[in-house]
Amino acid sequence: MSMNFSEFKKKLGAEPLSDDPEFRAARESSPEFEAAARKAEALEEKLARAFRLPVPDDLAERISALAQQPAEAPERRRWLPMALAASLLVAVGAAGLVWNSNRGWDSVEEYVMDHYRHDGPRTISRNGQSGFDEVQSLFATFDVEAAPALADIVGVIKYCPTPDGKGVHMVLNTVQGPVTVIYMPETSVQDREVLAFDDVEAVLVELEHGSAAIIGTRNQGILELYATVHDAILPLPDRS
Amino acid sequence: MNSEASRQARFNQLAEDYGADLYRYAMWICGNDALAKDLVQETYLRAWKALDKLKDSKAVKSWLITILRREYARTFERKVPRFTDVDNVVVAEETELEPDDRAEVRMLRQGIMKLAPKYREPLMMQVVLGFSCEEIAQHLEISKSAVMTQLFRAREQLKTRLQKDGVTGNVHELF
Repeated sequence: MSMNFSEFKKKLGAEPLSDDPEFRAARESSPEFEAAARKAEALEEKLARAFRLPVPDDLAERISALAQQPAEAPERRRWLPMALAASLLVAVGAAGLVWNSNRGWDSVEEYVMDHYRHDGPRTISRNGQSGFDEVQSLFATFDVEAAPALADIVGVIKYCPTPDGKGVHMVLNTVQGPVTVIYMPETSVQDREVLAFDDVEAVLVELEHGSAAIIGTRNQGILELYATVHDAILPLPDRS
Repeated sequence: MNSEASRQARFNQLAEDYGADLYRYAMWICGNDALAKDLVQETYLRAWKALDKLKDSKAVKSWLITILRREYARTFERKVPRFTDVDNVVVAEETELEPDDRAEVRMLRQGIMKLAPKYREPLMMQVVLGFSCEEIAQHLEISKSAVMTQLFRAREQLKTRLQKDGVTGNVHELF
């Protein structure tokens, strides 16, 4: 029994790429059916493109490496070996999975609080120890470099949005515990301004090139990190 | 090849064949890159442990998705934050698209995220994973006709959204 047009459209909406013989025969039965099928195929192409999110380049390798990990408690498992953590985050950031920076914060202070609330604890929870080269690679994007005093204690590092474009989000492994530092290469701040929100505080640092926000809990003494951050993010020598 | 090497090789092939689809599916259900990676990791770790029980190679994808969905329900569902990566994703390949096409991709992604889960999940299974309506019905434990109704409604809602948002380009040809 052949399909009427209404049945055909319903089938198109549910299984537009069906190879059901009755469906295919209906498609070929008239120009109206064929036109409807072409429209459905066009939508399907657009849907497939929209659903096709980028995938980390070395995903399969990292999954394969899971089989090599020693058995440990699920909460201690890491997504991949330490040495790859930073490059993964760099790759993800570079591939464009970035927070939309067009949110239009009214102030740097609002941005710092908003960014930390959305991404701070989650990034801290990733744990890790980035390599010196990975740290320098990200900073070089902005024509700056990180002195060893900073680079050697970077745990997690990745690109992030800032009010004025792309920046860097880091978690420093300090003796006081993990501390977040957000580098904003194109943003000026009121130097040494302190923000207190939720259960954390932040200090803003005006740098030679750009600025930074250091964020940590109230007992971490983040003001003591001011000098470390201020003195450690410097323009690359050929820009001085 | 000894049995351990053979097992590793088989696992590597699973990673190669299905890792991308699982990651994309996880991203769409979590809306969060870090959680999606954790979910894929947990899925494959469980798959590694149970690999010897997998006898039917044709059922692999379905088997992995079953593990992933159970892990999501069991462990990750309550962890999904409001903020989503998918909602704001800016894709590298978008820079290769014309402005109208970029706008269309964004609109569709936003529309997909706004679909009720009962419409979004069967659509994800069909488009991302390539499952048939019968396979979707099995996973979701509903009838095939219910799956087809939900798929139809999902597409109708997305078409309506595109039309309402006035996306230009060839969208008008879809109606």
